[in-house]
Amino acid sequence: MKYESQKVAKLYFIAAIGLFVGQILFGLIMGAQYVIGDFMFPEIPFNVARMVHTNLLIVWLLFGFMGAAYYLVPEEAETELFAPWLANLMFWIFLVAGAATILGYLLVPYATLAELTMNDMLPTMGREFLEQPTITKIGIVIVALSFLFNIGMTILKGRKTVVNLVLLMGLTGLAVFFLFAFYNPTNLVMDKYYWWWVVHLWVEGVWELILGAILAFILIKTTGVDREVIEKWLYIIIAMTLITGIIGTGHHYYWIGAPEFWQWWGSIFSAMEPIPFFMMTVYAFNMVNKRRRNHPNKAAVLWALGTAVMAFLGAGVWGFLHTLAPVNYYTHGTQITAAHGHMAFYGAYVMIVLAMISYAMPLMRGREACNSARSQSMEMWSFWLMTISMVFITLFLTGAGILQVYLQRFSDNPMDFMVVQDKIALFYWLREIAGLIFLVGLVLYIASFFVGKSEPEATVELAK
Amino acid sequence: MEKSKWPPGDLVIWIFIMAELLVFGVFFSAYAFTRANHVELFNTYQLTLDRNAALINTLALITSSYFVVRAVAAIRNDNSQRCFHWLLAALFMGVVFLVVKGAEYQHHFAHGVNLSTNTFYMFYLSLTFFHFLHVILGMVILIAVALKAKAGGYSASEYTGVETGASYWHMVDLVWMVLFPLVYVMR
Amino acid sequence: MTDKNVFIRPCTWIYLLLMALTFVTWFIGTMQFSGLQISLMVLGFALLKGQLIGDYFMGLKQVSGFWRWAITIWLLLVGSLITFAFNLTA
Repeated sequence: MKYESQKVAKLYFIAAIGLFVGQILFGLIMGAQYVIGDFMFPEIPFNVARMVHTNLLIVWLLFGFMGAAYYLVPEEAETELFAPWLANLMFWIFLVAGAATILGYLLVPYATLAELTMNDMLPTMGREFLEQPTITKIGIVIVALSFLFNIGMTILKGRKTVVNLVLLMGLTGLAVFFLFAFYNPTNLVMDKYYWWWVVHLWVEGVWELILGAILAFILIKTTGVDREVIEKWLYIIIAMTLITGIIGTGHHYYWIGAPEFWQWWGSIFSAMEPIPFFMMTVYAFNMVNKRRRNHPNKAAVLWALGTAVMAFLGAGVWGFLHTLAPVNYYTHGTQITAAHGHMAFYGAYVMIVLAMISYAMPLMRGREACNSARSQSMEMWSFWLMTISMVFITLFLTGAGILQVYLQRFSDNPMDFMVVQDKIALFYWLREIAGLIFLVGLVLYIASFFVGKSEPEATVELAK
Repeated sequence: MEKSKWPPGDLVIWIFIMAELLVFGVFFSAYAFTRANHVELFNTYQLTLDRNAALINTLALITSSYFVVRAVAAIRNDNSQRCFHWLLAALFMGVVFLVVKGAEYQHHFAHGVNLSTNTFYMFYLSLTFFHFLHVILGMVILIAVALKAKAGGYSASEYTGVETGASYWHMVDLVWMVLFPLVYVMR
Repeated sequence: MTDKNVFIRPCTWIYLLLMALTFVTWFIGTMQFSGLQISLMVLGFALLKGQLIGDYFMGLKQVSGFWRWAITIWLLLVGSLITFAFNLTA
């Protein structure tokens, strides 16, 4: 760590991990509700658990991205953060607003929450993933703008690197596309159409730039490979991401009432979305193979490589499985989507945030380069536990999805939705078990911050 | 001459080129297979296209590509100014392409044609417009290369950047070589 | 330098050949000739043009290994798919 103000990232990372735990707990509750319908009812109904599970994911990833940016931008720009106090202030505002929103979901019925927050004045509630009360959404915009201002000013006064510019581009896109959360046309087709401008253009567009920038930063730091080489890769990866991702939005427009050409555009371009992820995998491994030094923080390198592989599998391969219009005709909205969603979010975004935390946290806690060998070993155990159980969650959901598609939509005698849900219960049970193992991995991950604190840092053999 | 293991220019641009070619390849195949189900429709509306404009555009792109070849040859001879001038000439041919193509679009739009008119026009507009965007991107790259060449940023010993831009531009040309007969001529 | 002979001159000939093949394609199009044989011939010209651009303009003739054939492989793949599709209705 070179600049004192990078330390503001610490708060953000701690909050991110805390909310991550919450997300997983609600995931497990919901997973149980798939097979035991009245589990924890009426305290936590399924729809609330789902809302909390997905909203927490988004919020903690945002915390993670902001923390990563606050850490990375000053170091890249070679200057202190423009206004560390603003970063601290925004942290508390964001945390309080986030917590209040989640409590609102849990404590009062959603309709009451809408009334309390005066949703009538500017109705934005009631849409999947964008359930937040309007006032929370306004809060998010304020936080995002102050954050962008802070980051932008830091970049302006310092060294301008490709990593910083790509990150800034991604973060700006994130803020701009969120504005469509306020656009709520009465026409349902239009409503869905622009809803995807937030949802799709985030995760299959600008977030990928953030992912690319953070990954590039970690690779530069841990491999010692020339910045120019890494930047070149970053350029073509983001170019490919934008070409395929933006028009690829069309794969959500097949059945919502948008013009038919979207079936072609959506199919062709979204089918190419795995390419930038594949490039990312090739490049991450290439850079690590060409490394000029062995970084002692092996855990961070493992997360970085892990994210490259899992993002390709989860976002790339599992996305491709059901992206073509003729396939999606059958798979739309089934457990196949859930399978893809889980591995893609974990592989692309959870893992990159954890990689950044893994790299930066030891430095912010006063280490020279990395944690002790014992702590790293535990962290790597947690890596494998979480990653492998996520692979199994994905496989079980894929199994459930294939069966669901067949029984409910493809066979000669299609069955009702709930009848099919009964028949695929076995897969849901297995998914829940894999989820519990994921929780064990997460507990180990948190424990790794506390073990081996008094032991010396891990070292490596001299670079070849 | 000694054969090299790597293509001219930066390897990264070649990976990008292959990815782009893959997208175009899928688009071309989609055109061909969809046409198989609507031969009448495709044959009818193909006749509304302007083959003379397409001829001019094909010649423009080939000529432009050739000029870029000359630009690479010039920098190999350590002649930055000549390299710059050949690149300008290539860019001019790019402008010709954009103007002619723009006039074609103008004509079709004036007749109320859009992406939802029919499957043929959907493909025609999508394919050519996607290519159109690549011409623009290629020109942006060439402009960057030309400016650096003018500023003396390349020499006979270091001209990877020129070859990188050239390779991308040739790809734009190459794709059109298939697009032109497929969409305008084959019936 | 021999660059003029080994690089520019072949490319100039290729350029003229590409122009000529383009005129042939255009002529066929203008005459509205149709049918499988004609179409495949036009496609053949296109693939040949692509190969020439790859070999000479892109300079892949001076390359060995995978990249020597990268463009060729793409042309053959796309060419066979288009050929197959046109054969479906013949």
